[in-house]
Amino acid sequence: MSDSAASPNPAGASPRAAAIRRRTTNSSSKEKTSRAPGPSTAGMMRIYTDDSPGLRVDPVVVLVLSLAFIASVFALHIYGKLTKA
Amino acid sequence: MANTLKLERNSKLNEQTGQGITPSDICAGFRFLHLIRPFMAVLPEIAAPERKIPFRQKVLWTAVTLFIFLVCSQVPLYGIMSSDSSDPLYWMRAILASNRGTLMELGITPIVTSGMFMQLLAGANLIEVDYSLKEDRSLFNGAQKLFAVLIAFGQATVSVMNGLYGRPSDLGAGICLLLILQLVVAGVIVVLLDELLQKGYGLGSGISLFIATNVCETILWKALSPTTYNVGNGPEFEGALIALFHLLFTRSNKSRALKEAFYRDNLPNVMNLLATVLVFGIVIYLQGFRVELPVKSSRFRGQRGTYPIKLFYTSNMPIMLQSALTSNMFMVSQMVFNRFPENILVRILGTWTPYQGTNQMIASGGLAYYMSPPHSITEALLDPIHTVVYITFMLTACALLSKTWIEVSGSSPRDVAKQLKEQNMVMAGHRDASMYKELKRVIPTAAAFGGAVLGAVSVFADLIGAIGSGTGILLCTTIIYQYWEMFVKESIENSGDALAF
Repeated sequence: MSDSAASPNPAGASPRAAAIRRRTTNSSSKEKTSRAPGPSTAGMMRIYTDDSPGLRVDPVVVLVLSLAFIASVFALHIYGKLTKA
Repeated sequence: MANTLKLERNSKLNEQTGQGITPSDICAGFRFLHLIRPFMAVLPEIAAPERKIPFRQKVLWTAVTLFIFLVCSQVPLYGIMSSDSSDPLYWMRAILASNRGTLMELGITPIVTSGMFMQLLAGANLIEVDYSLKEDRSLFNGAQKLFAVLIAFGQATVSVMNGLYGRPSDLGAGICLLLILQLVVAGVIVVLLDELLQKGYGLGSGISLFIATNVCETILWKALSPTTYNVGNGPEFEGALIALFHLLFTRSNKSRALKEAFYRDNLPNVMNLLATVLVFGIVIYLQGFRVELPVKSSRFRGQRGTYPIKLFYTSNMPIMLQSALTSNMFMVSQMVFNRFPENILVRILGTWTPYQGTNQMIASGGLAYYMSPPHSITEALLDPIHTVVYITFMLTACALLSKTWIEVSGSSPRDVAKQLKEQNMVMAGHRDASMYKELKRVIPTAAAFGGAVLGAVSVFADLIGAIGSGTGILLCTTIIYQYWEMFVKESIENSGDALAF
């Protein structure tokens, strides 16, 4: 598949040589790829790239809070129906 | 005279901000970002995952996020009296992932608008951001989030006060406040869900996920909706496919039934559906276009590869920015037209009339008219000036926005050259300096031309009547393609890990 060439790593070398290179330069190359954004990120709006010293929230908390919000809107609807009737 | 004055002031400003960077003088220089600092402590922020989230868990997080979004876009807002007044964002609903009268009334508008403005401001150096400083980056992110919340508040207040849900005096102050509160909290939830996905818990970004979902929902609904309408001779189904079978089975004249199913113009027809599929195919086909630059490793002899520059280098960004821009302009234009319908400046911006016996307002004159697509091919042929101006506007806007976006998003020729250098890659037959030149020749051209092509496809889709507007389908298709790429990449990585161990 032509998509495997999407990463700037040399893809033309024989698989054996590539495997050897991967083994020898494993740690350093991983660091680099994680830091440098690939060319495909140009199409996505990346807004949050880093941590910032703010109010830290666990993602589970976000889920619970949003579900609670939805539930409270439901409760408001039910309350509205009951008081109207 | 005035010009020179302005120039002088600009140069002074530059000096000041330049001084601001040096640590000794940090208090003297004024920097916009520092205004954000007091708010940083109260802005909620998702903690980054401590280790890499496994692929399956990512899919799970993405699904849960999507579920919350879908629920939010079905739950009606509490306290609405009526929502049958004209919808100022009617043409943009699908792209903005919003649903009328539900918690997702604003959808992703706040976050997209804020992100767009901040990044363009930073790109134009109106806000100074030093991306190499961690503090600056976090302040910039915080600023985007803060503005998203402020914009959500602003838009909520404007729509409630404008009587979108019934006259404010009828609703009462308490309900008005409740409405604004619901909209703002929903806005905050969208911001947080998007951040959750982007921080690495899920796949892609919330913005794209929500847009794609909403457009797919519209297409599916238009194809398979079981709602019936009574139009003259007997009930007809809204969904194009269902109507096709229904008409074929119930009508005695089969050819008339086929014609009706293919060409009815008050409800979605099979032609619309085929047009949608056609546009989908075209976009996927164009995604494959790329220029492949030969690169080789400077460290390992004989290792060669290619660095692909795609035709859609900026993917769907130009369309997204363009639609955010026009939707905001339409909203303002419609609002001021309702207040001051006689003002000449307002009329130049746009005049609005109800569309064919519905409450829905459409642009019928002024700038807004020339920025909105013709509604059918016949309309396009009847007013050729409108068509030509609209096509020119779309193409140039998309090309320009695409070119600006590469600078803003860190995928400009300079960034790519730096990235290749970091990985010890050089272009075959080029030295360092000439590599940058070569990239500078290829990338902006690809970006501008790709943007223009994207604009052209969008216009084409609008003209042949694809379901859910040209921009909507384009966004949806490119997003699905991105996700597909992501899945492929992820599975290759996974299999690579499996081989290594």
